[in-house]
Amino acid sequence: MKAVITSIVVAIILALIFSLPALAQDSDAITITMTGVNDISISLDKTQWPLGEVAADTEYMTSPPIEWCTLTVEGNCNVNTFIVGEDAEWIDNPSAYKWTLSSDGTNGDNVYGLQFRISGDTTRGSLGDGYVPITKTEGEFWPYSGGSSLAPEDTKQFGLKLLTPTYFVGGRQMQTQITISAVAA
Amino acid sequence: MIRHIKLAGLIAALLVIFLPSFTLAQDVNFSVSPAEIHIDDLPPGEVAEFKLTIHNKEELAHNFTFTTFQPSEEERREGRAEFPDDSWISFPSQEIEVASNSEANVTVTVAIPREQKWAGGDWEIWLGVAAESSDLLAVRLYARLLVSTNPAADARSNAGLVAGIVAGIVLLGCGGYYYFRRKAKFE
Repeated sequence: MKAVITSIVVAIILALIFSLPALAQDSDAITITMTGVNDISISLDKTQWPLGEVAADTEYMTSPPIEWCTLTVEGNCNVNTFIVGEDAEWIDNPSAYKWTLSSDGTNGDNVYGLQFRISGDTTRGSLGDGYVPITKTEGEFWPYSGGSSLAPEDTKQFGLKLLTPTYFVGGRQMQTQITISAVAA
Repeated sequence: MIRHIKLAGLIAALLVIFLPSFTLAQDVNFSVSPAEIHIDDLPPGEVAEFKLTIHNKEELAHNFTFTTFQPSEEERREGRAEFPDDSWISFPSQEIEVASNSEANVTVTVAIPREQKWAGGDWEIWLGVAAESSDLLAVRLYARLLVSTNPAADARSNAGLVAGIVAGIVLLGCGGYYYFRRKAKFE
C-alpha cells in the first residue's frame, strides 16, 4: 500500500515538473499592428446655435442656412463622417420632460425634427432639396451612397434646420446634442 | 380686447427656450491615434492590450469618454463580421482627463473567451472617443479595431496538454508501483 501511494505522489510531482513550463508558455504569438502613424481628427468652427424662445410648429434655420458651420479634416488620414441626434431634454429635470427626435425630420406633439444640409448638395433627402433628417441612428454625413471620402484638409460647410413640436409645454429650457463622428476611410 | 389678451397669453405659453448652454460652451479640438488597429492570431482565452493616444490640442483640460460602436456591414472592412460581444473590450475607466496641449495614453484590453466557437473569427468594432461638452454640436472620433482569432483554439491545445499530463501520471504511477513492488520482493 505504501508503495502505491509513494508511486502516485512521485508520478504527480514528476509530471508537474515537466508540464508546468509548457502550461505557462504562450502557445502562439499575438500580432498587434497599428496602421502607420495615422491619427484621426476633425474640427467644427461652430458648436452652438443660440435660438432663444421658439414657437410651436415652426421651422428655424441656421444663418447662413447651409454655410453656417465648417467641418475640417485635421488628421492625416481620409475619413468617412456620420451624424446622430438625440431627444431634447428639459435642463432642470431631464427625466421628467423631453421632446422626442423624429425619425424623418417631421414633428408632432412633443416630437421635434432636425435636418442638415451640406453646401453644394442639392439633390439629397426625400424631398430632393438637399435636407437630410438627423435621427437617433447614426447616419451618413459625408460621403453618402458610396461617394468619395474626405481627405486631410478637406472642408464641408453645412447648416441645420429645426422643426419645433406641434405642441409642447412652454417655459422650459430644452437642451439637445448633435454628434458628428469620423472614422478612417 | 380680452380675446386679444387671451391669444397673447396662449402664444406666450407655447413659447419655450431652446437654448444650448452658453456657460460651458467651448470648441474641442483633439485627435486619436492610431486610427486603425489590427490584432491577428489572438487565441480564444488570451488577452491582447494596446494603447490609444488622445491628443488634446486645446488650451483647457478636457474630459474624454470612451464607447464602443458596432458599425453596419457597409461600413466594415471587407470580410469582417460584427464583433460578437463588446463586453470583451475594456477601458481602464469610462473617462479620462487630458491636460491642455498634451497627450494621454489609454490601455485598451481585448479578451476573447476560451471557447472553440470563437476560433477563426475576423471581426470589426469601432472604439469611440468624445470630448465631454454641453454644446449643441459635438465630435466623436472612432478608431477601427480589427480582431482575428487563431483558427486553432487555445482551449484545444491546453486540453491535449492536460490529457498528456494525466497519461504521464498514470504511466509513471504504474512504473513506480512495479518498481517499489519489485524492490520490496527482493528485500
